[in-house]
Amino acid sequence: MSADSTAQSTPPPVVQVRDMDFCYGASKALFDINLKVEYHRVTALIGPSGCGKSTLLRCINRMNDRVPSARVTKGEVLVKGKNIHDADVDLTQLRKQVGMVFQKSNPFPKSIYENVAYGLRIHGEKNKSVLDEAVERSLTHAALWEELKDRLHANALALSGGQQQRLCIARAIATVPDVLLMDEPCSALDPISTLKIEELMHQLAREFTVVIVTHNMQQAVRVSDYTAFLHLGKLVEFAPTEELFTNPREKLTDSYLRGTFS
Amino acid sequence: MNPVPTNDNPFAGDNSGIQQRETAARWALRVGSYIVVIITLAIMLHIFIKGAPVVFQSKWPFVNTQFLTELPATLHVIEDQQGNHIETDVNGADAVKKKLGDDFRSEKTISYSGGGILGPIVGTALLVIVSVGVALFLGVACAIYLSEYAKHGKFLEMVRLAILNLAGVPSVVFGLFGLGAFVLTAPTFVDVPADRSVFAIPLGFTTLSFEGWDTCVLSGGFTLAFVILPVIITASEQCLQAVPQGFRETSMALGATRWQTIRYSVLPFATPGILTSSILGIARAAGETAPIMFTAALAFKDKLPWQKDLPPLPADASIFAHWEQSVSRFLGIFTESVQALPYHIYTLAAKIPQNEYAERAQYGSVFVFLVLVASLAASSVLLRKRLRAKYRW
Repeated sequence: MSADSTAQSTPPPVVQVRDMDFCYGASKALFDINLKVEYHRVTALIGPSGCGKSTLLRCINRMNDRVPSARVTKGEVLVKGKNIHDADVDLTQLRKQVGMVFQKSNPFPKSIYENVAYGLRIHGEKNKSVLDEAVERSLTHAALWEELKDRLHANALALSGGQQQRLCIARAIATVPDVLLMDEPCSALDPISTLKIEELMHQLAREFTVVIVTHNMQQAVRVSDYTAFLHLGKLVEFAPTEELFTNPREKLTDSYLRGTFS
Repeated sequence: MNPVPTNDNPFAGDNSGIQQRETAARWALRVGSYIVVIITLAIMLHIFIKGAPVVFQSKWPFVNTQFLTELPATLHVIEDQQGNHIETDVNGADAVKKKLGDDFRSEKTISYSGGGILGPIVGTALLVIVSVGVALFLGVACAIYLSEYAKHGKFLEMVRLAILNLAGVPSVVFGLFGLGAFVLTAPTFVDVPADRSVFAIPLGFTTLSFEGWDTCVLSGGFTLAFVILPVIITASEQCLQAVPQGFRETSMALGATRWQTIRYSVLPFATPGILTSSILGIARAAGETAPIMFTAALAFKDKLPWQKDLPPLPADASIFAHWEQSVSRFLGIFTESVQALPYHIYTLAAKIPQNEYAERAQYGSVFVFLVLVASLAASSVLLRKRLRAKYRW
């Protein structure tokens, strides 16, 4: 970190991607990515389909490890100042502190309570009162507590699509991660549910750092503080959201925002 | 310009034969299905008509308790001068003859056809329990490894192919394999190794000797387990694959290890399907004859597995000696050879002269066997239904 002179004055970024190349087998998916995610900010990743925004997101909690032959071939990813590909990094601890919400809401076919408590349980928490407290706190954060507090033991699959996705958010924040990764969390939801989740994101940013992948540019404008535009595996532009959308530096960004290509 | 309506049918079929082929295909499929149903029903009905009168009776308690609660025995049929037939067992024969006196005309003995079939029922139940237990443990472990841990590639494909090929091995080959592996060479703890022991490892207090388990429930159960393993592995793997990948991803993203993910987010949802596959396993294991012929089953045995002959204890024997004998008798359910229903049916059909009495025993046994398998299957279906209601996605 000593090489980074600006880190002296401002707090260090919670996620820092440096000169990263990423490959699926022989085909390169990400080229020379540099990205800094600040604490308690919402950072949006936008770009056309297949540009690698989801891949980049999944590099931050090493979910790409699940894909055989997928690997980082150059550069490094630092979370809280630690290179997450170091040999002494325990994946379970990394993922406890870097939570993730997926595109498709996928609650376990268990009770609402068990869904939220899942993360704590697998990390060994057995104390009922701690679990109760965490479930209430997480559901409150996800704006679900009032709706669901009387039926915590109902099956999570009985909830509506929007509620299910907010439940997934509650489940992801129950372990109190520093970073919350969201992979197009609203793409399968109706406009009202989408609105609720967007409202939620501002709240969440107070406690957590949010990185969100979205294909919806208006959504990026509404929810994010910083936006990164990716195209064909390259990070074209990374700037404060307002600046990127009103006054893009790159021509490619400009034409994408104008809808000249998609 | 509006088209002019005509009286011609605009949707008239052409005569290209498409319609005829459609009808022909539908009827071919329908006839095929009906043939299957009719043959199945014919078999069931035949067995029911011939077997039910043996097992059920018109008087209280409506079930032929003798048939279900006694061990097989030799049937003595004594004919008097009037042509009446008196059925009795070996102990009753002399008394009947004495009573008839000069009225006695002839006596026939028919092996295995008297008494009941409790021995084979118990034997088959024990074999099924042992084999399904072993096969579920090994099969599910193997399926989890193949589905969740093993790297995809050539090797995995070869393993899968090998498992499928295992399903094509004739069951008599499994029987001979079981004879060699479990009856003659499996490791066991003994004080003094037998002469046939392949090799023995002294452990101080006892000896681990590879001298086999002899013909017993354990040998037969393990052999049957290998017969049904391919079914259980293949079906379990499919059930595991049917659990949405999202469950695994979510669980891992929350920091769960792979085993935690399997334990809490995959297995519970695959269990109903795995139980279904075990139904197939139960039916198959209960019905196989060849694998148990050399490993577990006897044509005739006059004792239940836990009624082992042991030397009578002296009057002043310690409580420990009594306890030891009880344990030894109880372990007979694993270490004794047994009669089994399918082998009993085979014996009745192939090893004794055929007559009305032997036929009666045969149909009774087949009927009981079918009821047993059907009820096992039904209980598994019920269990699966309850689990599925609990874990639906």
